[in-house]
Amino acid sequence: MKRKDNDPSTLSRRNFLKRSTMASVFGLSGAVEIIPESISKQAEARPRPQATVNCAIIGFGARGRELASTLARLPEANLMAVCDNYDVMLRRSKRDVPQASTHSDYQEVLSNPDVQAVLIATPTHLHRDIALAALEAGKNVYCEAPMASTIEDARTMALAARDAENQIFQVGQVYRSNPQHRSVFQFIRSGAIGKPAMGRGQWHAKQSWRRTSPNRDRERSLNWRLDHTVSTGLIGEVGLHQLDVSFWVLGELPKAVNGFGQIRAWDDGRQVPDTIQAIIEFPSGLHMMYDATLASSFDDAYEIYFGSDSTIIFRDRGKAWMFKEVDAPLLGWEVYARKDKFYKESGIALLANATQLDAQNMDPTEDDPNVESPLWYALKEFMDNHAFGPYPPAANYERGYQAAVFAIKANEAITQNTRVEIDEALYSLD
Amino acid sequence: MKTVRLALEAMATRFELVLHGDDAVRLRAAGEEALAEIRRLEAQLSFYDPSSQISRINARAADGPVRVAPRLFRLLQTAQQLHAATDGAFDLTVAPLMRCWGFTRGTGHLPDPEALAEARSKTGMHLVLLDEEAFTVAFARPGVLLDLGAIGKGYAVEEAAQILVEAGVERAFLHGGTSTIHALGTPLDEACWNVAIPHPDADPAAPNDDDVLVVVPLKDEALSVSAVWGKAFEADGKTYGHVLDPRSGHPVDGAVLTAVAGPSATTCDALSTALLVLGCDAGELMTSLDDSIRAMTVCSKDAEDGFEVMQTGIEVYDPGF
Repeated sequence: MKRKDNDPSTLSRRNFLKRSTMASVFGLSGAVEIIPESISKQAEARPRPQATVNCAIIGFGARGRELASTLARLPEANLMAVCDNYDVMLRRSKRDVPQASTHSDYQEVLSNPDVQAVLIATPTHLHRDIALAALEAGKNVYCEAPMASTIEDARTMALAARDAENQIFQVGQVYRSNPQHRSVFQFIRSGAIGKPAMGRGQWHAKQSWRRTSPNRDRERSLNWRLDHTVSTGLIGEVGLHQLDVSFWVLGELPKAVNGFGQIRAWDDGRQVPDTIQAIIEFPSGLHMMYDATLASSFDDAYEIYFGSDSTIIFRDRGKAWMFKEVDAPLLGWEVYARKDKFYKESGIALLANATQLDAQNMDPTEDDPNVESPLWYALKEFMDNHAFGPYPPAANYERGYQAAVFAIKANEAITQNTRVEIDEALYSLD
Repeated sequence: MKTVRLALEAMATRFELVLHGDDAVRLRAAGEEALAEIRRLEAQLSFYDPSSQISRINARAADGPVRVAPRLFRLLQTAQQLHAATDGAFDLTVAPLMRCWGFTRGTGHLPDPEALAEARSKTGMHLVLLDEEAFTVAFARPGVLLDLGAIGKGYAVEEAAQILVEAGVERAFLHGGTSTIHALGTPLDEACWNVAIPHPDADPAAPNDDDVLVVVPLKDEALSVSAVWGKAFEADGKTYGHVLDPRSGHPVDGAVLTAVAGPSATTCDALSTALLVLGCDAGELMTSLDDSIRAMTVCSKDAEDGFEVMQTGIEVYDPGF
């Protein structure tokens, strides 16, 4: 069912005018998305839309539940349906979101004309069919990342999203919508770290990544992340979110990956490595190192960008600190900024909206008490797009496709312990 | 038969989980999911994390209704029901009182009378307005604060136990900080999980067999133990502990140890706090409890008489005590 012209979320004149102004902001041309402060303030000053968006979640595992609990805090979101083919998840849905109807077949959800937006949180390799059907049914789509587990699937989805120009297609690369990341992004791109030297990222946890169920068939499908025929591994299911930020911050896409994968902790018959390392080469010559493990939780997760003047670290869900070289030029404001100790280093806290907080008589050196999670901002952007768009979201189909291409090729390098080159043309949808 | 042990640091305490079953890999997978649920709930319920849902409510609910996830909404409804059932002894709004008495960031001090009156005016579950239609929470006046410390651990343990059941686990023992417990099924070769509660005089640094006050047998059941131990200060020859009576605004005086066993860890957690607040007056509440709930309150008497034990369904282990 295609959307009717009189549908409020189609490209009306009002939407067209908004879209044409927002397009320059969000970079239709594929340029980097610098959000000028004046425009983000304008966006905040707009009256909040009154209409609610009827949403459905397909896939009610851990991520689906997180989507539901975040939607519950957005007044404009009305979660009206939940779909999962496992009855345990539907029982959880009844507990978590009692107002939502439950379904075991996603086609039921898509055929409901009242559902405007579909959020897809199924296993990665199942995204494609659902996303294509949802677009075909005229729904706006929020699809978890990675978009797909094969490049072919990701390309098919991205092209379908491109063709559905009056529909929203947002990929769950949530840091792209996070004000804190946007703020630090501007910082790095304005040259605050000096000449970029290298990047490093990690994700460490002590967990088996295995799931269980009393039903053995169900258990097999629950453990899709450990099925090497469909899983994109740690680099895809976890690292992609962190590394997507590096593509954004550095303004370039990797040209090659040297990968290494081992099973160090969970030798339980799995073939998907539980410990990985990757050295990612960018066209500019910059390298980024990334490692992830399910064997150790030491030092959690972060990304670091080393430069000749300073080093910036992202950690704790989007918080950021800057460590200046002693000979770096004085920026001025850092004298007043909050400093946090990191063993022997002193990190300058980089806070989004510090000047706004100051204007509201709030202490700009304290963490913003109104700050939300990156997922909240991503879903807020998705909801706002229904009221003011459709415009290309920060994590649009192209960014989703490019990140998926990287994840799939990097996983190939890791599982084969080799170096894989990524042809620049592969990132293009043309 | 295999045994798997897991642990998690969350909610300012240590959670431990022991699982018995045939397949260690599957037991671990179930245990990890249960502990992940506790971590998720910590992020939602934390009083100290500025990005938690509770912090959102505390920052905004005095300005207008704040929408929350339905599960948290129902937990707050449960808290209000428990508040009513305990005649106000269980109350999630004592944070202003805790601050006033200096227990939030220190070991406590006598409050200024005006400050105490001000804090009392911000205390009470009647100041928390729940709108069931809209799933919103609002505060009737500024300064009200929700702190789920007296119920959060029990809720987390109950939800985690539910996940173990859904994953097919039949024998497990989960506790948070040794004070909130859920026992699933039975251990191997035993009719139930036996939990010993030490005598209030016992020295935890030098435990011995005489320390056991009661042994509570559990099977598919929760247990919560509350005690007055912790932050305290002395003034004018009197000791003031950190457990406050929300009705009077003063530290409780009387009960030193309480225990509640029953089907729901959430309810047990709340009731054990309420009994501690009610102290020597806990008898009425104890006799009114549902048949599925067992409870014990140990009150201190003078130095010669030692302790008085009130119990319903929980038998004292040492009859000489």
